[in-house]
Amino acid sequence: MKHMHDTQHMPRPPARDWTVMAVMVLLAALVVASFASLPLKWRDFFTLDAVNSAAELLAGFAPPETATPFLVKTAWATLETMSMSALGTLLAVVAGLALALPASGRLGQTPRAAVRALLNVLRSIPELVWASILLIAAGLGPFGGTLALAAHTAGVLGRLFADALENAPPGPEATLRTNGASAAAAFLYATLPQTLPQMLSYTLYRWENNIRAAAILGVVGAGGLGQMLKYHLSLFQMQQAATVIIAMLVLVALVDAISYALRRALTR
Amino acid sequence: MPTPLLELRNLSKSYQGRPVLANLSWTFRAGEFVAIMGDSGVGKSTLLNLIAGLDAPDPASTSSIIIDGVPMAGLDDDAATRLRRSRMGFIFQAFHVLPHLTLLQNVALPLLLNGLPVARAAEMLDAVGLGGRGDDFPHQLSGGEMQRVAIARALVHRPALVLADEPTGNLDPDTAHGILELLHREIKSTGACAIMVTHSHIAAEMTDKILQLSKCGIQETTIVKPFEQ
Repeated sequence: MKHMHDTQHMPRPPARDWTVMAVMVLLAALVVASFASLPLKWRDFFTLDAVNSAAELLAGFAPPETATPFLVKTAWATLETMSMSALGTLLAVVAGLALALPASGRLGQTPRAAVRALLNVLRSIPELVWASILLIAAGLGPFGGTLALAAHTAGVLGRLFADALENAPPGPEATLRTNGASAAAAFLYATLPQTLPQMLSYTLYRWENNIRAAAILGVVGAGGLGQMLKYHLSLFQMQQAATVIIAMLVLVALVDAISYALRRALTR
Repeated sequence: MPTPLLELRNLSKSYQGRPVLANLSWTFRAGEFVAIMGDSGVGKSTLLNLIAGLDAPDPASTSSIIIDGVPMAGLDDDAATRLRRSRMGFIFQAFHVLPHLTLLQNVALPLLLNGLPVARAAEMLDAVGLGGRGDDFPHQLSGGEMQRVAIARALVHRPALVLADEPTGNLDPDTAHGILELLHREIKSTGACAIMVTHSHIAAEMTDKILQLSKCGIQETTIVKPFEQ
């Protein structure tokens, strides 16, 4: 009887949400429509000819070029790619922090909305598009690439920094204001130190992304490893291209490892 | 009789037309430890905010708050900030100890803000029983220990007026008793006037005077003082 009593008083399960089902069906239909509308030649891709061509292409990469002058040139390009990503990220941190202050609502709701809209625009445009635009203005080479990385990353970091500032516990800053600290001092001594580890973590993560992006930007003429890769691939110099690709992999792995270690240390 | 430190005259405050405080008048003297009690929503915390200059009385009223002979109404935001910095100390229910600073740095903050030598911070930590733990961080402390740090921070710059909003509200009774004994001792040794808002009769009875705040105004109630017995 007791069991019966418990069952009678069990809470009713929540009503089934049919909108979730409808969204799932819609997504499935979109996936099917995507495959149907694109001319994906899967059958051609797995033919013997296609496999032979791919194998021939891959065989062309071996062995990678190891002549000293070429390795030196690749090392310089690696440094250029790393410098582009580091400088682009640094510029983005400065711009992102400056934009995050109004975007976090510290100067009122109107500046908050306006600056958030600007940040949306900055980060909605991919680095490659920024590079294509800025290379026209700044000319070919790493300067345009650096600016392209900075523009896109400023949009991303500005938004993340603003959210971090908005979500910081208000107690410490309010305490300092109550105790007679100026608004600037209260921000610098309370809110900024609280959010700094999170901001540094975001910055390092974006630097990781920017290393990869900087390598790609070179393809549109922004210097570094990407430009070398495009040059050698377009001349079908596959062994040189292989060396450049290996340099990219090593650089990305190295920066990922450093960034990961630093982020672990910061958020511990 | 000690000199008046804080005078409230005809203090009135409304929020969206709803009166919270109406024509409140009282004089607080140097060296007094006063508890303010009253029902929730009667305006206790509002009163502390008005005294601290964090909120302003109704503009149409004849309200005035005079601290050490200085009318708060004549002060702009910067001057009120300076007055709070130099003459007041604050203790909160939720402690509000800065999590990223060491205990010593937390206690030294009012000294730094006032441009005073920071050596007294270590003395104050010692006085609240946390000597030798200056390099610890707040997350290493219990609630009672954090409130000790907050008391040290509130008193380190020798303020004339200490405002405490439910300082023992988050503490167990034994810890609360210890904190109030400490607060009483430190206030008496510095000669400050302390105003403590509390719901706890036990806490209130450890002060020199209990004021009851109600819709009818403010009045003193008789108390037993077990602390001094």
